[in-house]
Amino acid sequence: MVDVGAPVGILTQIGLVAGLRWRMLRNGLRKKSNRFDLIGLIFVGILSAIFVFGLCFTFFAGAYNFLSTGRFGWLSLLFWGIFVFWQLFPIFAAGFGASFEFRTLLRFPLNLTSFYIISLAYGLADFSALASVCWLVSMMLGAAAAKPAVLPAMLLVVTLLLILNVTLERLIGSWFERLLSRRRTRELFFALFILSMVSLNLIEPIMHRYGAILRPLAHRIVPYFSWFPPALAGKAIASAAQAHFGGVVLSSVGLLLYAAVFSVFLWARFAKQYRGEELSETAAPAPVAPRAAAKVDNAPDHLSALSPQVAAIVRKEFRYLTRNSFSFFSLIVPPMLILILSAQLSEARPRGSQFHVSSEMLFPGIMAYLVLILMAPAYNCFAFEGRGIQTYFMAPVRFREVFLGKNLMLLSVLAVEMILSLAMLAWRLGLPSPPVFVATITAIVFAVVGQLSLANWSSLNFPRKLEFGQMRGQRQSGMAVLIAFGAQFLFGGLSAVILFAGRWTENRWFSAEAFTLLASAALGGYFASLDALSRVAEKKKEVLIEALWR
Amino acid sequence: MPEIAICTQKLSRTFGNLTAVDGMNLEVAAGQFFGFLGPNGAGKSTTIKMLTGLLAPTSGSMELLGLDFAAHPVDVKRQIGVVPEGMGLLERLTGSEYLQFVGRMYGLDRATTQRRAAELLDFMQLADRPKTLIADYSHGMQKKLALAAAVIHGPRILFLDEPFEGVDALAAGALKALLGRMTERGTTIFLTSHVLEIVERLCSHVAIIHKGRLVAQGSLEELRAGISGEAGSKTTLEEVFLSIVGQDGAERPHLEELSWLM
Repeated sequence: MVDVGAPVGILTQIGLVAGLRWRMLRNGLRKKSNRFDLIGLIFVGILSAIFVFGLCFTFFAGAYNFLSTGRFGWLSLLFWGIFVFWQLFPIFAAGFGASFEFRTLLRFPLNLTSFYIISLAYGLADFSALASVCWLVSMMLGAAAAKPAVLPAMLLVVTLLLILNVTLERLIGSWFERLLSRRRTRELFFALFILSMVSLNLIEPIMHRYGAILRPLAHRIVPYFSWFPPALAGKAIASAAQAHFGGVVLSSVGLLLYAAVFSVFLWARFAKQYRGEELSETAAPAPVAPRAAAKVDNAPDHLSALSPQVAAIVRKEFRYLTRNSFSFFSLIVPPMLILILSAQLSEARPRGSQFHVSSEMLFPGIMAYLVLILMAPAYNCFAFEGRGIQTYFMAPVRFREVFLGKNLMLLSVLAVEMILSLAMLAWRLGLPSPPVFVATITAIVFAVVGQLSLANWSSLNFPRKLEFGQMRGQRQSGMAVLIAFGAQFLFGGLSAVILFAGRWTENRWFSAEAFTLLASAALGGYFASLDALSRVAEKKKEVLIEALWR
Repeated sequence: MPEIAICTQKLSRTFGNLTAVDGMNLEVAAGQFFGFLGPNGAGKSTTIKMLTGLLAPTSGSMELLGLDFAAHPVDVKRQIGVVPEGMGLLERLTGSEYLQFVGRMYGLDRATTQRRAAELLDFMQLADRPKTLIADYSHGMQKKLALAAAVIHGPRILFLDEPFEGVDALAAGALKALLGRMTERGTTIFLTSHVLEIVERLCSHVAIIHKGRLVAQGSLEELRAGISGEAGSKTTLEEVFLSIVGQDGAERPHLEELSWLM
């Protein structure tokens, strides 16, 4: 007779899931490369603790001050802060279900109620939830210290807010999971996310121009916010402080209703998951197109000047760039920022004024910024290859060709970005003088080509796999970041010294001449390094394949 | 004397204290359909990775088609095709783009690459999803594409690590026929599989690796005769395999320990 396991209690199951999260974190640190990350994790942990406990004091003092000075209406602001953080932080930082898919628990004998409760417990273990609970408790202590009579109301409100927030956070999480389950929507979402982050820079110019129209509109909208949970929580405590118990009950019922509605929605989502909802595209058969006859493309090969292998890698890199919407859309960011910056500078400090910002100064600065941003991925250039890295080692090519192809693509992107940025700058502020222009261009050749050898070496020695269209868990290798930072500092610093030396000696062409010499040396060094890097690749292939396999 | 396609001398690979492959002397004649067997963790994948340049040996030498791999890696790679463990596909390309990429990496001209890619996609029944990325392929489709990429340049030796895993019966039949035709034309096929029936049906010669050491090598008839002691024996490959690998009783799982399950 086969033994069948006895039913497991809900608390045991919650304990098991908590243990699972802890073991996943601990086992992730076993690998040597991840131990470097542990240092970063400890650093982030210390900063997070300072952030949480610092704000604990703020919330305590805020609640105490508002209640003891009779400014009860301000309490809502504190609740709003916690509410917004609890709901938005997981979207920005934690993401949903990348390292552990919660739904994988469904293979175990759980009923829907257990699945639901474990999910809420899981949500309570998130950083945003833990921090928010600390702040709510601090508020409660502050309120009790100022007016002990509000403690029961505060306890009730905090409990309701806790249930409401954790339910809403899981609900938003499950909606996001649904939205992001398909690769294309996931990539599109992150592209829009990047664009919206960049668009934040437009708030100031928009407010500057349309502020007078928008302000009355905002005043009309604000009263409607009083129906939202944080405002209701504030109202409940304010009523308790003024001994209006009807107000406490009314606001608490409002919070309870919110919690109930969110719970119903969340229950419905989980019920679908529980019944086996599957949203990823691999589970669904792809649309079948009629079989096309084999055709040969007779169009001229635009990359015929390159060897077939290098041309193949350039093409592949281009396809990868256009399909990685996150990287592709991020290319819009530098020219857009330059447009915003140059527009603001030309408006704030027009030509002829004492503090006029000329393109003589801005052009080298902007180009340095572009190099800084666009060179960073080169230090982990195999990040998106995944298991495909094996193709390079199986094919009859040396890594010299692989690097040439990848570096050529990067240089092309850099060139396009620079031309776009130059066009923006010329439009808003005019072109720099020929000596500054030539000095800057040769400085870029020196800094970029000089960095490429280092970046290629770093890519071989400190590889880290990155996934397309994902934000969570997308950390670069700590060492690669350090090397990139050091190299950028070195090349940037040297370039700045030469540029200033040109101004100091009042020799307009000194910098251009010096950079031409350095750029030639960098080019020579780059081509000489390719063979050495091919040998390093051969030695490091196991590390590379292993790192990108995971 | 037949031409030797693969020859290893005292080939070894260690990972820290673990010896995955221990002094292997292997010889595979050109045109053979060669099965490479062993239990999990025996060293099969490590051997195939070394033979295809994905892993450096700790010691020993390898010659493929008469060329020393260490001295002429690019010349050797030009003549071999590989379906590695994990398939090694660039998942953000479409099937056609990937085949064209691989063809060009092997030095084929553009027109030949395009023609062969189209023919292979058609043969592998992958031509009806031209815009689907490899990331969105099923496991079986990815396997077929990896096989297509391994043969696009017409290799003289083909290394296949579990090639039929996840492939449907219809496609598997066509693939077996294709591989059979390739060996008739002189291609050497080096195959690992856990499905002994497939190896028995396809391969003319077999080697068995156990705990990193080559414990048997020869034609199927030679191995059968070695076990039964008579030529023309009806012993199956599974029986041969079990008798060689599971000779010591410690290798076999003891069912008594799972009495609670029975």
